[in-house]
Amino acid sequence: MNSLTYNILQLTVMILVAPLINGIIRKVKAFTQKRKGAPLLQMYFDLFKLIKKNTVVSETSSWIFKAAPYVVITTALGAGLMVPSVTLVAPSGFMGDIILLVYLLALGRFFMMLAGLDTGSTFGGMGSSREAMISALMEPSILITLFTAGLAAGTTSIGGIMTKVKEMPAPLTQPVFIMFFLATLIIIIAETSRIPVDDPSTHLELTMVHEAMILEYSGRHLAMMELGASVKQLVFITLLVNICLPLDQLITISGIGAIVLSLLLYLVKVSAAAVLIAIIEVNTVKFRFFSVPNLAALSFILAFIGFLEYFVLWR
Amino acid sequence: MDNYNQVLSVLILLTSFMLMANKRIKSYIGTFRLQSALIALTAGIMGIRAAMAEGSIDVLVVSIIIIALKVIYIPNLLHKTFSGVEYKVEKDFFLNIPLLILICCGLVVFSYFSVSRVAGGSDGIMNAEVVNSISLVLIGLFFMISRRKAIGQIVGFLVIENGIFITAMFSTNGMPFIVDIGVFIDIITAVLIMGIIVFKINEKFDSIDINKLKNLRG
Amino acid sequence: MVIPAVGTLLGVSIILFVSAAAAALVFSHWQKLCNTASNILCMAASVSGIWAAIRHLLAGGEKVVILSVGITVPIISFDLAFDRLSAFFVLGLCILVFCVSIYSIGYVSHFYGKRNVGLFQLLFSTFILSMFFVLTSSNAVFFYIAWEVMALLSYFLVVFESEHSEKQKAGMVYIIMTHIGTAFLMIAFMMMYSYTKSFDLYGDSSAIPQPARNVMFILFLIGFGVKAGVIPLHIWLPYAHPAAPGNVSALMSGIMIKTAVYGLLRFVLVYLGVENTWWGMTLLVLGMISAVLGVAYAFVEVNIKKLLAYSSIENIGIIFIGLGIAFIAFSKGNRTIGALALCASLFHTFNHTLFKGGLFLGAGSIQHATHTLDMEKLGGLIKKMPVTAVFMLGGSLAISSVVPFNGFASEWLTLQSLFGMIGKGQAVLNIAAIVAVAALAIAGALAAASFVKLFGISFLGLGRSEHSEHAKEVSPVMYTGMGILIIPCLVLGIFPSLFLKLTDGLVTELAGQSVTGNLGGPLLLARYEAAPGGNSISPLQVAAVLLILFLLALTVIRLVGGRYLERRYGTWDCGFEALNSRMQYTATGFSKPIQIVFRILFRPSRELKVGGDHQYHPKSMEYTVSTEPIFEKYIYAPVVKMVTDLSRRMKFAVQTGSVHRYLIYIFVAVLALMLYNRIA
Repeated sequence: MNSLTYNILQLTVMILVAPLINGIIRKVKAFTQKRKGAPLLQMYFDLFKLIKKNTVVSETSSWIFKAAPYVVITTALGAGLMVPSVTLVAPSGFMGDIILLVYLLALGRFFMMLAGLDTGSTFGGMGSSREAMISALMEPSILITLFTAGLAAGTTSIGGIMTKVKEMPAPLTQPVFIMFFLATLIIIIAETSRIPVDDPSTHLELTMVHEAMILEYSGRHLAMMELGASVKQLVFITLLVNICLPLDQLITISGIGAIVLSLLLYLVKVSAAAVLIAIIEVNTVKFRFFSVPNLAALSFILAFIGFLEYFVLWR
Repeated sequence: MDNYNQVLSVLILLTSFMLMANKRIKSYIGTFRLQSALIALTAGIMGIRAAMAEGSIDVLVVSIIIIALKVIYIPNLLHKTFSGVEYKVEKDFFLNIPLLILICCGLVVFSYFSVSRVAGGSDGIMNAEVVNSISLVLIGLFFMISRRKAIGQIVGFLVIENGIFITAMFSTNGMPFIVDIGVFIDIITAVLIMGIIVFKINEKFDSIDINKLKNLRG
Repeated sequence: MVIPAVGTLLGVSIILFVSAAAAALVFSHWQKLCNTASNILCMAASVSGIWAAIRHLLAGGEKVVILSVGITVPIISFDLAFDRLSAFFVLGLCILVFCVSIYSIGYVSHFYGKRNVGLFQLLFSTFILSMFFVLTSSNAVFFYIAWEVMALLSYFLVVFESEHSEKQKAGMVYIIMTHIGTAFLMIAFMMMYSYTKSFDLYGDSSAIPQPARNVMFILFLIGFGVKAGVIPLHIWLPYAHPAAPGNVSALMSGIMIKTAVYGLLRFVLVYLGVENTWWGMTLLVLGMISAVLGVAYAFVEVNIKKLLAYSSIENIGIIFIGLGIAFIAFSKGNRTIGALALCASLFHTFNHTLFKGGLFLGAGSIQHATHTLDMEKLGGLIKKMPVTAVFMLGGSLAISSVVPFNGFASEWLTLQSLFGMIGKGQAVLNIAAIVAVAALAIAGALAAASFVKLFGISFLGLGRSEHSEHAKEVSPVMYTGMGILIIPCLVLGIFPSLFLKLTDGLVTELAGQSVTGNLGGPLLLARYEAAPGGNSISPLQVAAVLLILFLLALTVIRLVGGRYLERRYGTWDCGFEALNSRMQYTATGFSKPIQIVFRILFRPSRELKVGGDHQYHPKSMEYTVSTEPIFEKYIYAPVVKMVTDLSRRMKFAVQTGSVHRYLIYIFVAVLALMLYNRIA
């Protein structure tokens, strides 16, 4: 498939699937709490409504405040383009690279933290400050985790890694990928403001991190921030499922049918991951903020042990 | 699927990290139960292989004993002992948890370096499983150091025993049956004695903080 | 038109620097003229230097002798030579000097009538000249002299505004530390001479035996490590850099600490040649420690310049990580990775010169405009100083190594060289490499957080004091000087191949292999022996995609949501209706979580004093937080105490004041020498 068509497909998948993941997580949570919950597509409705609304901008803020949502959405979508969802058709010379991915997301986060400080509100500063801590703690495990997967596949290109794992017999039976799976799960939880680290559904001073940073946003800016966050979440989930559960090599047919099949497989995989995340979220309580380092240390160790098993202890 | 040994040994190692990160007495016991279950699973797989290959059911029997003893009996016993004693979050570690975990990670690296010097280490006999299980022993010992309450010492001791057991199992594919049985009897006795002692400590000091034992000095 | 030779250009450059110093002296009574003339001459000199350096990097290769004056004393000669390595560092120096000189025209104006501008300009231009000589001297003794002069002049500049006692203390710590370093260098040079009977830097070192090489490496490492500010030899840096005037600290942080990198490359890599793996390993470990601790200290700092100074330590750490990998790879004979890592570390050296120079100039502008560097007193400057704010933001983004900036390009190369380094069957190296990856990651994240703090607290939100309320944008020359440093950060980030092409000759010369190879277009590429395809990214493509996505987002939002309507309203104040600047997060508060998490490192202590009769009816409240400088307390303080005690005892035992005693010393020394002569 030529790379322009592919990129358009990828972008569409990312934008359309990302809110769905949030819908699934919320739905599963509602079910476990014996509620009916909002419709699966609620986030789409929310986004549309927000985009159409007028925006309120703080008098204290500067142009940074208005620029940040665009930077956040742009970097999130850029990251989305790097992580092939339908690996079957991803062109080989793709721009995705694990190091690039990490530092691209850092750009979005940089502006988000600035935006938190721009309004001069206490909440924003608090959110930024906490986000700075969480990101500093999680960054080493993110990079080591991705590095280990890259080393196991012999390349730092994300598409390359995903292609390589397809040739391996069931990645999840190898220690290095088991560790990758567990570490990435913790990373997803921490990076996408999920429960033991942050709670996306409250606006309580004591607990909020991500919500505190974007507290002053409204209208289309808020829509971009929300969509950016959910695309970022999908990026990590895609990394998880496409590296640990490559199924595309099982598809034997070719042509457009294969692409559709691959897309369906992808949807099933990400939905399963969403359900898993929801189950984790339901079964844990939010950590005290200063217990987050424990989680970070654990994910770091998981990644590190995975590395050791593969590169040091391997027979 | 021929690397199940390594996978299981990594998972067992992982449980010891989880143990290190645990803060509640209840979760210590749960994690220990999980670890023992994984060890029983490893022994079970090994036993089935041995039974199919040579017809010996020794290892399989050992596996069943582990399930009975370490997955069911000892954890339940500990539960019973400590339900009467104290239900508190342990918070006075001498270092914070992330650091403890990082030190454990250092222990894994260290055990690699020490094992790789052992004779035969370079010609393929030394393998990942042995390193993982020796790290388990070290982490168990470190766990005993890091916890103040007597429960920590008991669970740490059991983890050390687990570590020794799987080290032996991975390096020799199962020890002579009689040795295993001897060891099991030993640990039952040890746990029983420790349980009684904990009870006594609690009776005497109204706490199971072993630092209080310092008061016994004249 | 006759194109002047490289030697001529450099000669012109030196003469212009000298005349800048002369102009400063001659015009010292006319402050404005003195300032302008001297700085313009410096600019002219650096243009000539840039021209020479670029030409030499691209075309040259052979060593060019600029000047060779034999002095009657046989071993010392006033020799200046110029090869690609010198050219690379001279390029950095001259670019920085060019921008700093533009900036100084505006900045020095606040000295008018208060200080001796002539003296300042004299010190300033001779300081630059001394760095120039350090980078081009080809004789170890002359190198040593230039090095000492550089240290002394920078000391004078640090204590230029010396009425504050803390600046005097900063200068004192600096001069002591730098002299300790120089002493180590001196021993190394003596060893060099005793084995090879020559002080020639371009000479042959094969006569030096292996153990002596190891000793010399350690001596060079300590000697240059002090100047580079590598932890644990860093303690002078966070005092001295902030104490100097803004333009001088830009020079010190931008290029002076890089002369240490030059020294390491010149003496260890080129002169000695790397043979032992542990050399590289030492550098790697030092680099990791400096990178992580440096930025961790930066993050909790509330003084802008101190934050920048600690961040310099971090960046030196990153450079050392690159050098370490390069040295390890060379000692193992792996030229490909060596070249890649060397290139990464050179790239980062150059990048750091650009953005740290720019940021220090920005800090100088803030000080110029607000008369404070304390972040707790700043805030909202983006509205008062819009242009400076944009450049500060650019510099912050570049130093946080986020995507389309040059910091990312060099960090990418460093990480790629670590990636290539890891392979099966080399346990120690693998573990060291993956730990280095983790160190780079945490340093990167903390650097971003530090600069969010720097920019967010001092430029965004509400002003926290009078200082920031009365700030005005600085004069155009000042922000132009800063901008010329910051804009290339973006350019080099999008077109890193510009830099790679420029230094290709140098890397090939040092590593024996080119990294650019068949590099086409704006591709950033890392190739390995194991995987010939290697990894590549295209920063240009990334930038273009980001731009397209940005435009797409803009259009889609516009199409779906219609016209943008906005209402300006106060920030949500929970219904208090009295939101003021004191309710904002402070700089201290911002870094508090990290301070608590890494309390082992910071040893924070806090104290709450409640004034008044009863603690529930406080009349006043005082809250102080402090962190404990562990290196000073646990390493330096005991040493200082030991030395002082020893000297005190010496005072009574040896230094008695009796002339006879002194004569006996001389007598014994003469006898001992004669005895030594007899035995040896």
